[in-house]
Amino acid sequence: MNKQMVKGINQNVDEIIGRWQLSMREEQDERFFQFMPSDLVDKTSRVFAELMTSNIAESDVVNREKLNEFTERVVRFGWSIKFVNKAIDNFSDIVFQILEAKEIITNDNLRAYLDIYTNWIPPLRESIIEAYSTEYERTIDLQKIALQELSASLIPVFDKISVMPLVGTIDTERAKLIMENLLEGVVKQQAEVVLLDITGVPVVDTMVAHHIIQAADAVRLIGAKCMLVGIRPEIAQTIVTLGIHLHEFTTTSTLQRGMQEALMLTNRKIVEVDKE
Amino acid sequence: MNARIPILKLGDTLIVSIQWELDDQTALQFQEDLLAKMHETATRGVVIDLTSIDLIDSFIAKVLGDVISMTGLMGAKVVITGIQPAVAITLIELGIRLGNVLTALDLENGLDKLRKELEV
Repeated sequence: MNKQMVKGINQNVDEIIGRWQLSMREEQDERFFQFMPSDLVDKTSRVFAELMTSNIAESDVVNREKLNEFTERVVRFGWSIKFVNKAIDNFSDIVFQILEAKEIITNDNLRAYLDIYTNWIPPLRESIIEAYSTEYERTIDLQKIALQELSASLIPVFDKISVMPLVGTIDTERAKLIMENLLEGVVKQQAEVVLLDITGVPVVDTMVAHHIIQAADAVRLIGAKCMLVGIRPEIAQTIVTLGIHLHEFTTTSTLQRGMQEALMLTNRKIVEVDKE
Repeated sequence: MNARIPILKLGDTLIVSIQWELDDQTALQFQEDLLAKMHETATRGVVIDLTSIDLIDSFIAKVLGDVISMTGLMGAKVVITGIQPAVAITLIELGIRLGNVLTALDLENGLDKLRKELEV
């Protein structure tokens, strides 16, 4: 039965591919079939058909190796997961229609066909979904790492003075990271004053303020002073409107002025030198 | 372990280095010892170093806060030094702010800060 089917498919491969391409072109949101040169589409379709056919199981057991080959190569086509799913669906539908028309599948061996089908299509689909989701998870992980690298570094600017520029929205997870980096950094750099620069933080709501206040308190506990700099006018308005009390620590509008204050606190100042 | 915490005198300053996790009994004992020693020696400043402490629970934090208020009543300033980042995070999360306490990164900075504070 399996061999008959494979033979049947191979004999009618052109017709199958033709109808399959036709049905795939109808998919609105897929650009592959609409914009690619037709010989490339044809070649890819043939490879796809070949891969599909080669996965019709020769026995009841699913052939892992061929399955992996299929997945690996289909993923490389660069289709979306939805499109691949649709492609597999359409392919099996068309195969069934054609084989039925050619009377290779009849009422008598329908059950046998069903068995083959069960061993053929679902494993392909599962394997594809697994491959795609692994890929997505990997991408997300990489992005997360990239974000963490970007998110909070304490920069030593002068002796005893460090700056942590914050850019982007602060959520609870990030706030935790900020606090850890801040404290570790202060201890490591022996900083006496740290400037938290929130110029790049788009919104300061009660939660963000809470996190910042906590961080500042923790910094005070380990023996340094925390200043909040880069407060934009709209941020000042929100802070007061929300009734957040930031009285306990020094705040300034720009990093520059914050730096002057920090130097003052550590008994230093910047002076201009006369050119000789 | 119920050993007492050593309290060292240096000029008019007392230096206490806490080397192991305090249990409740030891903490209370320490409170009494420190106040007694202060009374004996007419101390003006105390430095408590917590560098080797990785854990502070709410009771120990309360005792520390109390000790600081008590020493204040007896006319001395206290500086706490070397609080570890992890400890600071725990304290803040427990809602213990130790608002009126002076802190410093290490013993050296702590003594500096104390001296400045006493000069004022």
